[in-house]
Amino acid sequence: MTDSTNAVFSCADVHIWVGEKEVVKGVDLTVMPGEIHAIMGPNGSGKSTLANGLMGHPLYTVEGRLTLAGEDVSALSADEKARKGMFLAFQYPVAIPGVTVASFLRAAVSARRGAEVPIRDFRKELLARMADLDMDTAFAGRYLNDGFSGGEKKRVEILQMLMLQPRFALLDETDSGLDIDALKVVSKGINAASTPEVGMVLVTHYQRLLNYVRPHVVHVFMDGRIVRSGGPELALELEERGYDWLEPAAAAGGA
Amino acid sequence: MSAQPNPTLSVALEHVEELARGLGESGDALALRERARDLVTPLVLPDRARHLWRYTNPERFVPVADPTVLAPVAIAHEWPREDDLAAAALIAGGALRMVEIDDTARRAGVVIEDLHRAATDGLLGSLVPPEHGFAEAINTAAWHGGVLVRVPAGVELEHPIRVRCVASAEPVSVPRVLVVAGAGSAFELVEGHVGGGVPALVLGVTEIAVGPDARVRYSLVQRWDAGVTGHLTARARLERGAHFQMSLASFGGSLYKADVGAVLAGEGAQAEMFGVSMGGEKQHMDHHTEHLHEARKTHSNLDFKVALTGAARSAYTGMIRIAHDAGGSEAYQVNRNLLLSEDARAESIPELEILTDDVRCSHGATVAPLDEEQVFYLKSRGLPHFQAMRLIVYGFLGQTLQRLPATTRERIEALVASRLHEE
Ligand SMILES: Nc1ncnc2c1ncn2[C@@H]1O[C@H](COP(=O)(O)OP(=O)(O)O)[C@@H](O)[C@H]1O
Ligand SMILES: [Mg+2]
Repeated sequence: MTDSTNAVFSCADVHIWVGEKEVVKGVDLTVMPGEIHAIMGPNGSGKSTLANGLMGHPLYTVEGRLTLAGEDVSALSADEKARKGMFLAFQYPVAIPGVTVASFLRAAVSARRGAEVPIRDFRKELLARMADLDMDTAFAGRYLNDGFSGGEKKRVEILQMLMLQPRFALLDETDSGLDIDALKVVSKGINAASTPEVGMVLVTHYQRLLNYVRPHVVHVFMDGRIVRSGGPELALELEERGYDWLEPAAAAGGA
Repeated sequence: MSAQPNPTLSVALEHVEELARGLGESGDALALRERARDLVTPLVLPDRARHLWRYTNPERFVPVADPTVLAPVAIAHEWPREDDLAAAALIAGGALRMVEIDDTARRAGVVIEDLHRAATDGLLGSLVPPEHGFAEAINTAAWHGGVLVRVPAGVELEHPIRVRCVASAEPVSVPRVLVVAGAGSAFELVEGHVGGGVPALVLGVTEIAVGPDARVRYSLVQRWDAGVTGHLTARARLERGAHFQMSLASFGGSLYKADVGAVLAGEGAQAEMFGVSMGGEKQHMDHHTEHLHEARKTHSNLDFKVALTGAARSAYTGMIRIAHDAGGSEAYQVNRNLLLSEDARAESIPELEILTDDVRCSHGATVAPLDEEQVFYLKSRGLPHFQAMRLIVYGFLGQTLQRLPATTRERIEALVASRLHEE
């Protein structure tokens, strides 16, 4: 076990239920400053449930202890965690018609920084980050995720991460549905956000993203559990051999 | 089932003649008042099984005091005007209190005058006749405090005209507004209803005659104090090629019924209507819209949004009627209701009468609670629950709010925010 005193994020023995169904069945995770972890696992194994549950989605019942930069945040609501520096990039971001990307982000950035950001400073910063992500400035005036393509939504998730400057970011399949150019841009954004103080977890089921973003730790996630952890080479092994060879380990993990 | 006179309810309209004489009206005006009075004597309230009154009890709009008793009250009413206006008129305490017209508008021949003494060329009571309904008949018999707004043919106004009706100091307010838009004129008019204080009843009627090729933007903004019971009826009649855009904003009062619409009487006329309503606590809102397509190639489009908190109720009925000889017409209607609390309720009933095949027509209605996924998304970005909800509601209502003049919009945004705070 890693010593978690200086971790940006850690959780111990996390179980998550959707209604009566236990989907996440005991997860321990410790992310140190500057680390990027990858969680890889087959569809339906519970990765999004883990990510949404940790963030505080009201649909899920979460049991277990969560700490964010040393502080116990187990009992905090999603907005409190977000203001303390936790961030989730959604696998399926929802649309909010009538609310522009710029007005939403200004409210969010002000909440995160604990003070109203002056409109001109905000605009400058927003346009600079949008340029980093090769985004048309017109995006600022569009309604949040409303009619966005899959790739556009993912870019806007990364844009939000860059603006909100989290301490700990969970990225749920931010790489899926991207063409190669978009993948490069999104990876650039992830690498830019990954400073020595920041911890990250990339949830993915492809190795593809990991060609552009180097993880320090790779976890294999099956049936609600981390069944194996290792270095970047584990991702390559998964790419070659799939998940089937790990099935017995999944069963063993339950013991 | 036919409606029977209600033995316990009647409306006293004893002083119609004195009222007309006291206000210096013509003989024609008196004849109209008497015709209206006779329609509600004895008072026959509408059948509640019929659509228009299914959700709201008509008895609530029957005045207890005689509204034909002319006793205008001296009132002091502050009206700070923040935006540039072409003209402004204030109706309060049963009389037209103030008229201002800027020089440009005056030189262009814009007329804002007391409706009691104005020459109305038979237009008064032609777009909303007393036969329209009992509330309109009571207004027609008893109205006092009225304004005529006339914009001559070809005149385009840069700044809006504002008419404000204050419900206060009288147990019953019966304001009347007549707007005449000359051929090819273009302007914006905002009719605002405010005030309250005493338990007040308001029965208001507005008629808008839109001449050929005129372009009129009209907003009906209702933000009465709590406790007011009110019924407002507004009808526009559009001649050939006229373009009428209406914004409806309904926020105040305890019990409100609005009956608004347009008759598309001339070929190529277009009517757009954007409405927002937000109710809270035990407010009851009932909106009826009507688009009557009577001529060929007419076009109507309606988007009405309702957000409710507390135990508020909303009923919406939207009538589209396309006459047999109105081929080539198009009519669209959407009503969306957002329920922000468990006790809020909304009903939405489209009513289509399409008497020709040569049309395009669609309608849609939704009643839905706040989307938890949207709330969670915003909260995950650091916005507290209240702020997340407010952003979603602003977004929901925003498209319509954007169409209101800036100062009105700001006031309504503040009302929305305070409504949400009650949650
Ligand atoms: N909101 C939900 N309602 C019902 N079942 C859910 C819900 N969220 C997750 N689940 C169930 O949890 C399991 C894991 O889903 P998910 O976390 O989306 O997996 P992954 O992200 O690994 O593909 C699935 O079997 C799914 O049916
Ligand atoms: Mg998933």
